Amino acid sequence: MSKPSYIQQSLFRMWALAKFELIRLFLTKRGMLAILAFITTWFLILYYPVNSAVTIVASDGFKGMAEDTFGILGLSALLQWQVAEFTIYWLIALYSFPIFALGASSDQTCADRTRGTLRFISLRATRNEIIFGRFIGQVLIIAILILLTLLATTTMAWLRESALGVPALLKASDLFVQLIIVVLPFIALTSFFNSFLRSAKLTSVVTLLFFGLGALFISLISYNLSIAHYLNYIFPGVQLSDIVGQDKLTLVHYSIPLIQTGCYLALASIFMKRSAL
Amino acid sequence: MITSTNNSPLIKVSQLSKSFGTKQVLENVDFEIVKGEPVALVGPNGAGKTTLFSLICGYIQPSAGQISILGHQVGSAATFGKLAALPQDAQLDPRFSIAHQLNFYGQLQGFNKKKSQFEAERTLELVGLKEVLNEKPDSLSHGMRKRVTIAQALIGTPEIVMLDEATAGLDPIHARQIRQLVASLSAETTFILSSHDLSELERLCQQVLFLEQGVLRQHQNVSNDGLSQSQPTFITLRMAHTIPQFEQSLLAIEQVASVTQTQDKEYLLKINPSSALTLAFNTELLPIDIQILQLCHDNKWIYRQLINGKTLENQLFN
Repeated sequence: MSKPSYIQQSLFRMWALAKFELIRLFLTKRGMLAILAFITTWFLILYYPVNSAVTIVASDGFKGMAEDTFGILGLSALLQWQVAEFTIYWLIALYSFPIFALGASSDQTCADRTRGTLRFISLRATRNEIIFGRFIGQVLIIAILILLTLLATTTMAWLRESALGVPALLKASDLFVQLIIVVLPFIALTSFFNSFLRSAKLTSVVTLLFFGLGALFISLISYNLSIAHYLNYIFPGVQLSDIVGQDKLTLVHYSIPLIQTGCYLALASIFMKRSAL
Repeated sequence: MITSTNNSPLIKVSQLSKSFGTKQVLENVDFEIVKGEPVALVGPNGAGKTTLFSLICGYIQPSAGQISILGHQVGSAATFGKLAALPQDAQLDPRFSIAHQLNFYGQLQGFNKKKSQFEAERTLELVGLKEVLNEKPDSLSHGMRKRVTIAQALIGTPEIVMLDEATAGLDPIHARQIRQLVASLSAETTFILSSHDLSELERLCQQVLFLEQGVLRQHQNVSNDGLSQSQPTFITLRMAHTIPQFEQSLLAIEQVASVTQTQDKEYLLKINPSSALTLAFNTELLPIDIQILQLCHDNKWIYRQLINGKTLENQLFN
């Protein structure tokens, strides 16, 4: 058998690193507790807000009020969805998964760097492989969790009305792709912070300051220099308000998070190469 | 500089400097290490040993100069599985079993699942800890954890293994076991050992890199001062008790040129280089080491150790 090429070996190492992240979440005690908390939270979300809202949205008495409310918020297109469960699911998932992704991926390399474990790994994988392997691992984790919530919502819709099974599955696959694209830059941002910070707590604090003070700082600059508002494109999720209504979506809405992801991973790579392990 | 003309160097360091802010930790360090006996990296605290170690492993970037590992750049994928290390104070992940982590490292080195499991068991057996395979690191003592991290450095039988203070914190039995392990694996792996225990390094290493204030003071063979020659130029004698006028008694032996007390009850004897010639003309004259032993025997002086050459400590500090 011929020796695998450099690219094959590199992909194999990245996959090994990504797999380790999956095991960290799904097969360790702490990871299992996190999943249990996640499932409980989403059970409550699906059982109360989603389930109740579906009844309201679907009832004739409240339909007019819902149309007025959604119209004011620019969300009218959501009411056209055949599967009402996904209307409420989308509104909650679009904003909760990015926040969840920030928290869940806050420790990609920090703890390993502080403990010295990264020193063992760096003699067996390049720094880029470590960054990308861990990033892929986190994306897979979030993807699995998104998938679980989508399947649960699909099941709810199907149980309410069996004819909704297929449309629900089609909508679920559409939302899955959209949600993954939405969360990518958030995970890449924490990959970047992890390339130089030494703890998950510090990463969370810096992330909070980045979104809080960063937005304030750009607002102040934009007051005197209008062109500075383009700086808002450094923030993952900048396109969320445009896509929440699912109306007039263009390629730009998908390309912004993908470009942000590329930029943050490139920065993570540069910083990781220079940082001390 | 010790190099072998027929061996390409495993590690080549050229004009290596490292500064942290305004503090220069390493200054124009140059050396080559070829395949062979273990190499000792010694020096006082703050001499730059761990910095040099970290630079060779690619944990930090040099301020100037170059390092080549097996002809490749530091951190190059070509060195994976060939250069391994036990960095000082580095720990395994407490959330995973030792088997799981060693398997993971094996897989990163390109082994399949079966081979990785075999390597995990083999390396743990080498450090005498096969029974902790399914334990988590937190359930082990400090010494056991250290031995497990030594095991990770041995996965896949790398060409170079760097051990930073490998026996620090180990009890004497296990420290001895690690020394025996290093000695037994030296045929296939070149070890670079950093330690403050000079007697340990003396037993294991034939080459020494001595760093002082960031400068490489010496790079030499431990055996330079005695063992390589048929007639020693230096002899170190350790006595059990302090003996009055001992130096004078030793100087009475014809070939002894000078005697220096290096430590309490330890003497360094300089042997006259012409003694070989004297021995050739006077066939009844006993070899110098036998004469010293005879002197001790005749006077009922108890000696502890007779060392052919200088101790590593005396080579470096006297």
